[in-house]
Amino acid sequence: MYPNEKKRGTNRHEESPSEENSLLQGRRKDGISSQGNINKMKDCVHTGSLLSKLQEDNETVEMRDVHENYKVRYSPYSFENKRNWKHHKKDQVQCTVYKDENSPEVEMGHDSEDEATASWYRVTIPCGRKSDKALLMKSIQSLCSVPFTPVDLHYERSRIQFFVQHSNTASALKNVSFKICSDESRKISIFVNPSDVPYSVQNKFRPEQMELLKLAMRKRYDVSHQALDLQRFRFDPDLLDCGVDMKLNQRSCMSATLKIIQENFPELLSLNLRNNKLYQLDSLITVVKMAPHVKILNLSKNELKSAWELEKVKELQLEELWLEGNPFCSTFSDERAYVSAIQKCFPKLLYLDGRKLPTPIQVDTDSPQFMQSCKENLREPKPIKDRVLQFLQEYYLIYDYGDRYGLLSAYHDEACFSLTVPLNPSDQDPSSFYTNGQLLKYKKHDIVDCLRMLPKTQHDFSSFGVVIRYQTETMLCFSVNGKFKLSHNCFSYSLYIVNDQLLVRDSHSDEVESAFAMTMFMPHMNSNPILSLDQQKMVHTFSTQSGMKLEWSQKCLEDNEWNYTKAAEIFCMLQNIGKIPKEFFRPMS
Amino acid sequence: MSMSVKFETYVDQACKTAEEFANIYYETMDKRRQILPKLYLDTATLIWNGNVVMGLDALNNFFATLPSSDFQVTLLDCQPVHEQATQSQSTVLVVTSGTVKFDGNKEHYFNQNFLLTAQTVLGSTVWKIASDCFRFQD
Repeated sequence: MYPNEKKRGTNRHEESPSEENSLLQGRRKDGISSQGNINKMKDCVHTGSLLSKLQEDNETVEMRDVHENYKVRYSPYSFENKRNWKHHKKDQVQCTVYKDENSPEVEMGHDSEDEATASWYRVTIPCGRKSDKALLMKSIQSLCSVPFTPVDLHYERSRIQFFVQHSNTASALKNVSFKICSDESRKISIFVNPSDVPYSVQNKFRPEQMELLKLAMRKRYDVSHQALDLQRFRFDPDLLDCGVDMKLNQRSCMSATLKIIQENFPELLSLNLRNNKLYQLDSLITVVKMAPHVKILNLSKNELKSAWELEKVKELQLEELWLEGNPFCSTFSDERAYVSAIQKCFPKLLYLDGRKLPTPIQVDTDSPQFMQSCKENLREPKPIKDRVLQFLQEYYLIYDYGDRYGLLSAYHDEACFSLTVPLNPSDQDPSSFYTNGQLLKYKKHDIVDCLRMLPKTQHDFSSFGVVIRYQTETMLCFSVNGKFKLSHNCFSYSLYIVNDQLLVRDSHSDEVESAFAMTMFMPHMNSNPILSLDQQKMVHTFSTQSGMKLEWSQKCLEDNEWNYTKAAEIFCMLQNIGKIPKEFFRPMS
Repeated sequence: MSMSVKFETYVDQACKTAEEFANIYYETMDKRRQILPKLYLDTATLIWNGNVVMGLDALNNFFATLPSSDFQVTLLDCQPVHEQATQSQSTVLVVTSGTVKFDGNKEHYFNQNFLLTAQTVLGSTVWKIASDCFRFQD
């Protein structure tokens, strides 16, 4: 009936019935009323020593049906309040099982894992009083595989007790048992048992207080926006007048608030919890059940110390989130890391701290057939292809033979470039899967600097295959595939490269292949701007005087804003330093 | 090298999209070939080793007649496409490379690049392939 598993000394975690009996005995012995002051009880010493004896005997203690013992246990120990010793609400056979260290689950009856009704567990550390409470909790937290927040941490007789939710937390805590040594080098054991909802979590407000709360909240509710503003709720004048102390960072207050929301504002869209000294969001775990439609959440100016807190509310389909002013915000190395972390938790988020985030998009394989068709300009392919070929010729001429600085004018100011080279299969490194922004070159100067560092090449134009892939009014995308060998001009481009991706692969032969994908931005489709009569005259004169061809004369004049004198100066200067190639000049007749 | 925050977020988004997309695309191509055309825009163009395949019907036919494939992607690169070029329509350039074995053929190196564009359909936004260029590399 009970799984008979191997008993491991380090994992003993069971509150055996003998303990109860001994305690009962102890109590009877002293004849001290259970209502008396804890501190005066002398039997703690007895308890301690008896327990330690039990610990030594752990090899022989068998598993019991805990349920059977409830009758025995149910005695008025609880001097403070009845929270701990009620009958377990579910009348089921509970069995505590010795668990393998590696096994994550613990059978503790039926645990629906529903957030609102997830089981509570009482954690008891006998003789805990002897250790420094804070230090002990810290050690437990660090050893426990599941992070948790202790609820109602308190001393009871000589023990430390607190509550946690969820079976996985419970089992993780059990695993910590016997792993920590107390000051007297005695291993500390941790007992975990199912229990009722801890007192403080239960609603502690009287009906009339709830009514006042409801009225105060009604005043703060904006019907048109379905928004509830609970900023600095504690200091709400109405509440202060009535003497209702609404500390939202306390579970009972938060759950009362959520209850009222559920009953009165179920359609709530926006919840503002700014400036409420919230240290953790455990109390908000049920928000997704109480206010499922909330899309806007303001948690700014609270005391959240870790982004992990957000995991507790991540079931909300949030579109807007405010988090600034929390301690954890400054723990990120930069804004990008911060945004990234938050987006991981809320992938559909649109606005963070008031700033618009790039639209989250998914790939959908089951989308319907009808779709907004992209505007496509159906132009004659030939002129485009010609222009592209001409562009490529000029580009590679500079790339192969010239100082690659000349490529500056081919690139848009905010262009991107990335270079990928597949490694040999033998040294495949999965991290080379991504450039991830660090190897991406941005802005034309950086790009050209990078290009200049690449080895000298000789492209084989005859091997080029150019494919025009995509075309709109403002964009042209083409791919170039071909081979190249590894051995100041200003060109006038009306095409600017915005995205340049170079993929180079070693082939079996000596030749190296490359494939380029370039998307270009075309600011004007008309290549020849109409010149005014004056301008035309200027071009002719300039051409005659300088000896340059018409188009280059025009170019020179354009570059110098049609200031003839200036253009002439520039021309002379460049000519003197020999920067102007011969082909710019008219053939000498 | 300083990048504006805006650009960085675009790059991040592009990288995320590219990785997700590449996984889905090749998985679909290998295992659920019949729904592969759904990843393309109606007006998308596929250029397969120089052969132009344009329009959904042609794509459907093409993928149906293409033998079953086994793709091994070893390389993935992506860039966000400048909004000036795309009139503010989110676009990402994705480049992949690796090896592929089609049924009845020998293994080839391939490289493929996609232009992905964001499409809003019934309130949700999905990435669709606007242009696809596939080439063997040997």
